[in-house]
Amino acid sequence: MKLIRTNPSSLNRVSDFDEWFRHPFAGLPSLGQFFSNLGEVFPGVTGDKLAIDVHEDKDNYFASFEVPGVKKEDVKLELNSGMLTVSAEKREKNGDNESSYSLTRSVSVPDGVNVEAIAAKLEDGILTVTLPKAEHRKPRTIALN
Amino acid sequence: MNATCSPSTCAPATSGVTESLRKPLYNVNGNAEAYEVRVEMPGVPKSGVKLDLEDNILTVRGERNTTVPEGMKALHRELSPLSYILRLRLNTPVEEDKMTAKLEDGVLTLRLPLKEVAKPRQIPVL
Repeated sequence: MKLIRTNPSSLNRVSDFDEWFRHPFAGLPSLGQFFSNLGEVFPGVTGDKLAIDVHEDKDNYFASFEVPGVKKEDVKLELNSGMLTVSAEKREKNGDNESSYSLTRSVSVPDGVNVEAIAAKLEDGILTVTLPKAEHRKPRTIALN
Repeated sequence: MNATCSPSTCAPATSGVTESLRKPLYNVNGNAEAYEVRVEMPGVPKSGVKLDLEDNILTVRGERNTTVPEGMKALHRELSPLSYILRLRLNTPVEEDKMTAKLEDGVLTLRLPLKEVAKPRQIPVL
């Protein structure tokens, strides 16, 4: 049995944020974008989109995704020409029935990320991808002579 | 984890403060022996789960850790930071003392064994 379900967090999804990483300080999308994306209310058959949170500190960007019930081996991360794609396959067993569906999200990795050092961790149903900032992008103090 | 809990762990969190909570996604399955309730609560650690069964109302709470570490700022948010609450009315007697709960990968699985009286039985034809 194949079950496609709506991710609850996608219900309040207002827009496609793939562009986000390109403009880390662009802020939240406008209401106009919300209405232009109403067509997305019905999820596609191929997989629902994962919602994302992004944080940063002085050394890293952190991208978090909710993936309850997803096992480590069912998470796939792929970096391809500056795009990071996260896919999670969710399998559920209800009695004799087994259902599965996939969730996916692609984001542009910002400039100045040390792509070699990107790391991911799965804990309590939250996938956290750590994207370390390259040395030259870290804030620094410039001394006055 | 046990369904029965001490007053300190199950104290209602209504001390004049309005809490924002949301209802988690959940699934109930059952067979002749037990009900199985699966509740999706990503972001909730084991220590954040509170269970309570009183007057046939099963209450499941999941507290998310919402503190942002020092020096970290949110650039973009789509995920809700709210904690979870689910109340289910049980219409079948269950063995309270034999209830079990397991939290794995952000999914809480509760097993509620049915009381003998609630189990289906075969009636022989004489």
